[in-house]
Amino acid sequence: MFSKTNHRRRILFASLLLICGLAFFVCGSSLFAQMVLSLEGKPVDPIKASDGKVTVFIFVRTDCPISNRYAPLLQKMNGEFAGKTKFWLVYPDKKTTPQQITQHLQQFHYSIPALRDPDHSLVSLAGATITPESAVFDSQGRLIYHGRIDNLYEDAARARPAATTHELQNAIDAAIAGKPASIASAPAVGCYISDLE
Amino acid sequence: MTAFAKRIVAVSIASFFLALAASQIIRTRAALNLEEGRGVTFNRDLAPIVFRTCAPCHHPGEAGPFSLLTYGDVKSHARQIADLTQKRIMPPWLPEPGEWKFNDDLHLAQEEIALFKKWVNTGMPEGAPSDLPPAPRFNSGWHLGEPDMTLHADSSFEVPANGSDVYWNFIFRPPLEKTRWIKAIEIRPGERRLVHHANLIVDRSQSSRRQEKSPGSGFPGMELQIESETFDPDGHFLFWKPGTIPEPEPHDMALRLDPANDLVLNTHLQPSGKVEKIQPAIGLYFTNEPAVKFPLLLQLENDRKLNIPAGEKNFVVTDEFELPESVLLFAIYPHAHYLCRDMLAQARFPNGQTKTLLHISRWDLNWQAVFTYAAPIDLPAGTKVSMRYSYDNSDANPANPNSPPQRVVAGNRATDEMAHLWLQVLPKAAATQTQDPRRVLQEAIASHHVQNNPDDFEAHYNLAAMLQARGEVSQSIEHFKRALVLRPGDATVENALGGAYFVAGDLPQAIAHLSVAVRARPDYFDSQYNLGLALANSGEFHQAIEHLRAAVSLRSQDADAEANLGGALAAIGETKEAVAHLRRALELNPQHSLARENLDSILQDSPNP
Repeated sequence: MFSKTNHRRRILFASLLLICGLAFFVCGSSLFAQMVLSLEGKPVDPIKASDGKVTVFIFVRTDCPISNRYAPLLQKMNGEFAGKTKFWLVYPDKKTTPQQITQHLQQFHYSIPALRDPDHSLVSLAGATITPESAVFDSQGRLIYHGRIDNLYEDAARARPAATTHELQNAIDAAIAGKPASIASAPAVGCYISDLE
Repeated sequence: MTAFAKRIVAVSIASFFLALAASQIIRTRAALNLEEGRGVTFNRDLAPIVFRTCAPCHHPGEAGPFSLLTYGDVKSHARQIADLTQKRIMPPWLPEPGEWKFNDDLHLAQEEIALFKKWVNTGMPEGAPSDLPPAPRFNSGWHLGEPDMTLHADSSFEVPANGSDVYWNFIFRPPLEKTRWIKAIEIRPGERRLVHHANLIVDRSQSSRRQEKSPGSGFPGMELQIESETFDPDGHFLFWKPGTIPEPEPHDMALRLDPANDLVLNTHLQPSGKVEKIQPAIGLYFTNEPAVKFPLLLQLENDRKLNIPAGEKNFVVTDEFELPESVLLFAIYPHAHYLCRDMLAQARFPNGQTKTLLHISRWDLNWQAVFTYAAPIDLPAGTKVSMRYSYDNSDANPANPNSPPQRVVAGNRATDEMAHLWLQVLPKAAATQTQDPRRVLQEAIASHHVQNNPDDFEAHYNLAAMLQARGEVSQSIEHFKRALVLRPGDATVENALGGAYFVAGDLPQAIAHLSVAVRARPDYFDSQYNLGLALANSGEFHQAIEHLRAAVSLRSQDADAEANLGGALAAIGETKEAVAHLRRALELNPQHSLARENLDSILQDSPNP
C-alpha cells in the first residue's frame, strides 16, 4: 500500500515540476504544503512562510561531518542576515526522527528552524544532491543559486585551512540586492543525498 | 676521604622524537569477483573489504563519523564510498604500492575499487546471508587489556567549534619510583572524531614543562623540541592515528622509562562544528625484560633549502646520507607541512641498485603516519639513503595555508614548511667495548647535518655532544662554541659547554659557563647539578651545596644529585645531613656505588653521626 501511494506522489510531483519551470512563483508558494514537515509533524511551505524574504535552505544530515563543521558559520550568517533572509535547515533523511533532529540542533547550538523533507520535495525544488548544500530563493521565490556554502572542502576529508570563495554569502547578497547570483550553482562536497532511501 | 663522582650528567641533544606503537592487522584480501556475468553482492564481495579497511575507524567510538559495519550502513553511504574510493581519498593511505609491504596497508587494488562502482550501478544487492563473513569485533576499552599504569592528562583542552586545525600538547608525568621497561604504550586520545593524529614523545629532561603556563596546563604547538640525553635516543616511534591498534614492541626492544621522565602527547585536532573537550589518557604496559637491542632514529632533512617563492609549483628539496654501518630498517616517518605534494625516499645499495623505500604522490598532512615495514629491510654499510620532496606553493594547492600564496621558509608553525624523513633502524653489529655502532651512526648523521648546514644550531650541538662522549673534548668544545655563537646566552648550550670544559679539566671555564646557564635559567636541573659538581671539584663546597640543593629541590628523585649533595655536606663536616642524603640516594638507586662508598666511609669514621 505504502509503495503505491509513494509512486503516485512521485508522478504527480514530476508533472507539477514541469509546470514549475513555466510558472515558478505560483508553484513555489503552494506545491509542497503536504510533503514538507516541521518537527511537530505539521506541513510547512517554507517559501510562503518566509514571508517575502530571501529564503535559504541548507540541506544537512545528522551523521555528515562536513555538514556539522559548518554549524558555527551557518548560525553566524543566520544572525547577520536576520530580518532580510529566512534560513531553514532541511533534513532529507526520512529515517531521521524529529527527536534525533532536536538533539542534533541542541548539540550544534542551532537556532535555525528545521524541516523534514522525507519525500525530497525540497531536494528536487532546489536541485540539491549533497549534504551540506545550500539553495537561495529570491523574494519572488525564484531559485537563484544552489550548491556549496564555500570552498572550505576541496573534497571529502580534504579541507583547506580556510575557505577562499564564499558562494552562499555572495548569492544571498545578490538576492537581497534583487540581482541574479554571479553563478547559478557550484558543486557541493559532502554526503550524497541519493544514498538516502 | 669522601669521593666525588668524576663525571658529568649527560648533556642534551635537541631533537624531535616521534614514535609509533605499530599496529598490525592481518590482511585478508577478499577474493575478487569481477568476472563477466557475476553480480557483485555486499555479503560476498564488499563486506570483506569494508570490514578490513573501513570498519577499524568506522565503528562507534572511533574516528569515523558514521559506522560501516552492516549492509544498511554501507548502502546509506554507497555512492559516497564508490566516489571516495575511486579518488583514493578513502581509505586514507598515502604510500604508493612498492617493493616492500607495510603493516596495516589500507591500499585498495583497482579491482576492489571497481567492485563498489559496479555494486552501486547494479542496485546494491545484499547477497546470500551465508556469504557474509563474521563482523569484526572491536574492543571499546583498552586494546591490550588493563594497563599496568594509566595516566590521564592533568587538564582537558577545549577544541573551538570552528576555525582551522589546532595543535595541542599534553604532558604526562608517570609517578615511577624506579626505572621501568615498557613493552607497549596505548594512547587513548579522547574524542576520536577530533583527533587526526598524535605523537607521544619521551622527555627525559622535563624540558617541555617550561612551555606550560602552569603545571599541567598543556601548551600549544605543532612541533616539539625536546632535550634528551646524548646516548639514549628514544629509538621508538609512538604514534597514534585513527584505527590504530597498538602493537607491543619486540620483546628485546623495550622502552626505558626512568623516574621523573615525562611523556608528551602532541595532538593534531580538527574542529567539529561544536565546542568539545578532549582529555587524553595513556596506558603503560611494563615488562621485566630490559631491552637488549636499541633501535635509533636517523633523520634526513634539509630545512635550510626551504625557501619557496609564492606561486612556485614544483620546489624540490633533497638530502642524502651514506650509512657508515649496516642496519635493519624497521619503519619510516616522512614529515612536511601543507605545501608538500610528492615525497620519495630511496636506498642506493653499494652494488649500485636503487630501490624505493617510500613514495607518496599526494601528501596530505591530515593522514600522516609512521609506516612500519612488514619485514625489516636490510641496508648494508655504504647504502645511500635519500629523500626528494616536492612542494607546491601555488594557489592550485588547496592545502596552501596562505591565500594568496606567500613565500614560505622552514619553521615550526603550520604556515611554515619542513622537509624531514625519519628512519627507525637497528645496527646489525653488536656494540663492543671500543665501538658502538649506534654512536658511529649518530656521529655520522650529526656530521652530515653540519656539512649540510653550517648554521644549524642543533647539528653543531648534537655533533659536539657526540664528540664529547667519544672523548674528543677539544673538538666538542669547538662545536659547542659554534652553537653558542648561533644562540648566544642559550642556557642549554652554556650548560653543555661548561660540562665540556669540566671534562677537559678546565674548572674556571666550566664554572663560568655553568654560572651563565644557571643565571639564565635557575630552574634548569642539569646546570644546577653540573655547577654544584664543578664547584665541589674546585673545593668550593659551600657554593656547591647551594646549587646541589637547588638541583635536589628541582628533581626530588635523582640519586646522583642526592649522592653528590651528601658528599659535599660530608666535606664540610655536616655528616648528619650528609648521611640523610646518601641514604636517600641509595633508596632511589640501591646500586649507587658513589653513595655507598661515601656512606660507608662516613659511618666508618663516626658510626653514629
